[in-house]
Amino acid sequence: MKTVYQMQGYTLHLIPTKKFKTITISLRMQSPLLKETTTLRTLLTFVLIAATKQYPSTKLLASYLDENYGARLSTNVMTKGQSQIMNIYTSFVNDVYLPQKEQLLEKQIQLLSDLFFNPYIMNDAFDDTIVELKKKELKERLQVAKDDKFSYSLDKLFEYMGKDQTLGIPSTGYENEIESVSAKTLYEYFLKCIQEDEKHIYIVGDIDEEIVKIFKKYLQFPENSKDYPSAYTFTSDRNDVLEVIEKQDITQSKLNLGYRIDCNFTSDNHYAFTVFNAIFGGFSQSRLFQVVREENSLCYYVSSSYDAFNGMMLVNAGIEAADYHKTMDLITQELEKIQKGELAQHDIEIAKMMLENALRKTNDEAGSMITLTYNRDITHKQETNDEYIEKLLNVKKEDIIAVAKQVQLDTIFFLTGKDFDENN
Amino acid sequence: MKTINYQTLQETLYFEEMDNGLHVYLLPKKGFSKTYGLFSTNFGSIDTSFVPIGETEMIKVPDGIAHFLEHKMFEMEDGDASNAFAKLGASTNAFTSSSRTAYLFSTTSHENECIELLLDFVQDIYLTKENVEKEKGIINQEIGMYDDDPDWRCYFGSIQNLYQQHPVKIDIAGTVQTISEIDKETLEKCYHTFYHPSNMMLFVVGNIDPQQTMDFIRQNQSQKDFKKENSIKRMHVNEPTDIDKKEQTLNMDVVMPKIIVSMKMNDILEDPKEKLKRELAMNVLLDLLFARSSALYEKWTNDGLINDSFSANFTQERDYAFLQIGGDTLEPQKLKEKILDLIASLKDYPLLEEDFERVKKKNIGVLIGVFNSPESIANLFSRYYFEGIMVFDLIDSVARLKLDDVLELRNLFDIQYTSTCMISPKS
Repeated sequence: MKTVYQMQGYTLHLIPTKKFKTITISLRMQSPLLKETTTLRTLLTFVLIAATKQYPSTKLLASYLDENYGARLSTNVMTKGQSQIMNIYTSFVNDVYLPQKEQLLEKQIQLLSDLFFNPYIMNDAFDDTIVELKKKELKERLQVAKDDKFSYSLDKLFEYMGKDQTLGIPSTGYENEIESVSAKTLYEYFLKCIQEDEKHIYIVGDIDEEIVKIFKKYLQFPENSKDYPSAYTFTSDRNDVLEVIEKQDITQSKLNLGYRIDCNFTSDNHYAFTVFNAIFGGFSQSRLFQVVREENSLCYYVSSSYDAFNGMMLVNAGIEAADYHKTMDLITQELEKIQKGELAQHDIEIAKMMLENALRKTNDEAGSMITLTYNRDITHKQETNDEYIEKLLNVKKEDIIAVAKQVQLDTIFFLTGKDFDENN
Repeated sequence: MKTINYQTLQETLYFEEMDNGLHVYLLPKKGFSKTYGLFSTNFGSIDTSFVPIGETEMIKVPDGIAHFLEHKMFEMEDGDASNAFAKLGASTNAFTSSSRTAYLFSTTSHENECIELLLDFVQDIYLTKENVEKEKGIINQEIGMYDDDPDWRCYFGSIQNLYQQHPVKIDIAGTVQTISEIDKETLEKCYHTFYHPSNMMLFVVGNIDPQQTMDFIRQNQSQKDFKKENSIKRMHVNEPTDIDKKEQTLNMDVVMPKIIVSMKMNDILEDPKEKLKRELAMNVLLDLLFARSSALYEKWTNDGLINDSFSANFTQERDYAFLQIGGDTLEPQKLKEKILDLIASLKDYPLLEEDFERVKKKNIGVLIGVFNSPESIANLFSRYYFEGIMVFDLIDSVARLKLDDVLELRNLFDIQYTSTCMISPKS
């Protein structure tokens, strides 16, 4: 069965499976991640699903979704390296599990179309009341994100490490820019997105080719042939490590480390780096968890993550302020050990098995199936899951040592208590 | 082995009680790569006063011990259970709630070996003085992590306000003080009392053949010896009807204030069917009042009192129940008054048949969606199981609800048993 269809203004991807009781649709709109538009795009994801012409308030739209057996409609923004993605997502029950045929599939596709082509507008602007409410909501969301010390310290690491670069642009916009957005400017930007964003639609569930006709009937965007860049390798000309320490009135200190790695999603050594990260800090069998937590009882969580679209790696841990230097030393030592080749074949095998298991599991969840396919689609990577696993399994010890040697600490962001003594 | 068919969901569940008293449930899921096993015991953070197996006197154990034991169970004489799972390409984890401790694995291969390992590592204990001491540093960091989390502090503070005696007011992980009191002997007493097969349940869902898997589990269990089962005596908590604190404000290094209004329910039902009906009807009532499609949600949003963090939840466990309503707000005092006014005048609030039917549909749809995910099924199954409720009955039970079931719940609301917890930014 053909699964990819070039539609007017977007690519439609079918992922047919009978294992879910719901059907999931995700429309992904891609455009370059820019300082000038990140706030607009984030706000747009709030306003877009607040109302339509037919259901001109959140209450009415929510009631309509309730009536359709609690169909979900949500949006979020994310970055994929140099691109920013608006994701419009809906999932709803497959009719066969309902007492009678409700035609939910057709209704939800129509609703998706209405969001774009029958929006609740007046005089070439979104509804002013809705926009003002959503501005307030976004502002509060950004404020409350700062109160989560884990994500706050992570955002700060990106801000310092990525100063004047893509990495430093927040995917959810700037708090101080929200106020100046008007219902009119936002609507104008919305029209621009309809024209210029690169669009992919994914549908997962008990479907067949017939679905293409329904999409054709309800959903057409203006043609464009945009192909925006996404994955890249983070670089900086820093010679020394940037260390930033911030003090707040908190109990547990948050250590965040950003590394340059000279590798990204599209590199040949992507597979070796994926295995390296699994050995270093990706799982609870990894070096960092075993040494920092299990052997030294310094933390509850510690891990490394490979950000393949920004071509960088980060490590984070929650520790006692007094253990800052000790924890840093242990992390550095574990990295050096791998760089020197102190690496048992057995650990490599376990890491590969964990990665294979994790990848196979993504096939059991609609959202992760979409993400996996999307990552390949926007980077034009022709690769099946089995091919990907084979490449991981073929990674050799030398390859892991080689990518480990490319790892260089770039920035430290340490969020700690008021009584932290830098000279301890 | 018994077979139970659930028509609405098109699922088949397999059940068998082992000779040692262990209940085993299997749910094959066609097309899934993953298999998920969940081994739960009816032992949680509130079980701190009980008669240990083979003894006659009631003892009090340190708060946080169920969670501490959960951490230590992974230690085996010949290594760590997580590493043993990793060798099979599988991952493992565990969690402790107020009334349960559960251990799980998730795998896409070696299903039998994983089931065996899960049973074997939980059905054996290996503690040394040293490994007990070493765990204290890790758990203290876990406690510290929650200390800085304003959502958790507000959520938990709003429960603490309600109870004078009940151990639900104690943090699941305990405190740095109570953790320091935990030793090897007490952990072993808890283990032998509550980890008896007759107090436990195994649920396996995913890519499995039920007959072959059940045979394998039976074989594994027949090789082990356990003390003769005896029923567990837990101390009955004499919780006064009155709440502990009317109000609590926590000052934290945050920007956004938060508020939760909580309400203690003193009418605790015994019959599992009645209990379930109350919970499902309460969820419908809370949706009618506070969901995005409600008039109040719209009004309070437009008045700048709430944003999309606002929610209302009903919790009903073994011998306690409460409501929590709130979220982030720049107007905590005003929101508090609005919620309290509503509770006081709930009998006059219009609840219409038409809205009721709509919200019922929503609840049915959301519940069907839960059955997409092996993890969600297993976790929800285990949550309801020790209460005597089968999760597969939930959808039909919602479908049977009548508006009157919802209307009569209004009698349970009483302003006298409400309290407020607020998170306030330190200036």
